[in-house]
Amino acid sequence: MEDKELTPEESLSLINNMIGRARKRYTDNSFYFLLWGWIVTVASLAHYILGMYTSFEHPYIGWTLTIAGAVISAIRGSKQRDKAVVHNYTDKMYGWLWMCLGIAMFTIIFNGQLINWNTVPFVLLFAGVGTAVSGAMMGFKPLQFGAIAFWVLAIVAFRLPEIYQMLLMALGVIVGYLLPGYIMKANAKKHGI
Amino acid sequence: MAFKALDPLLHSQLRLAVMSLLISVESADFVYIKEQTGATAGNLSVQIDKLSNAEYITVTKGYEGKKPKTTCKVTSKGVDAFEAYVKTLQQYIKP
Repeated sequence: MEDKELTPEESLSLINNMIGRARKRYTDNSFYFLLWGWIVTVASLAHYILGMYTSFEHPYIGWTLTIAGAVISAIRGSKQRDKAVVHNYTDKMYGWLWMCLGIAMFTIIFNGQLINWNTVPFVLLFAGVGTAVSGAMMGFKPLQFGAIAFWVLAIVAFRLPEIYQMLLMALGVIVGYLLPGYIMKANAKKHGI
Repeated sequence: MAFKALDPLLHSQLRLAVMSLLISVESADFVYIKEQTGATAGNLSVQIDKLSNAEYITVTKGYEGKKPKTTCKVTSKGVDAFEAYVKTLQQYIKP
């Protein structure tokens, strides 16, 4: 690109072109959906099986995996930020959205005893907010369908005992995180990212 | 009605391209701007200095590992100048 004088029409077309370039970058966030999808699936199914079919005192043991998940997510997020050649507002909002939801989910689980450990319906509702907004920001429908699944399952979960809620939790993340995550990953490959 | 003069700092191809790119993102690397504008490093460096001297953008120099990394970000003065430029441009284009 030279540094030449422009006509007003050329200026306008240049502005449109450059703004369009900055917007077109496709972000692959599948890693986080797959990481959290698998962690929650394993933890909730383990919780159900241990609670239902064994006399093990701590059936919730699998949820300790979420600590590893939080550490891995934080490290990867910070590395990605340092490495990125461009910082979009969308990526920033996306990071804030999930950090806020993470704090909200943690607060509910941390205070779970006060609501007889009926935490799953609330976590499902929050996960639905996350996938609905992320899907809208990325223009990615599977995440938005996932949100509907989360909310329907939340309505059911409010009406079931805590141990059965674990099955709904697993089903929710399979439909809301894992399925969209794998589609997103395949799309990213297709786009050569 | 007399037409307002277009801001000479923005009314140049490369500087306008840099500003248009930065206005739509939070911040961008020198390498990214170079890639998107197709400019030579030397020319881009000169134009970025001009925008930075006018306080339209801020330039932060740092390191990513051992590699130097220059990050550019538009300032509120830059946003105002860009908006004024677009408004003036509309005067010229409107029938």
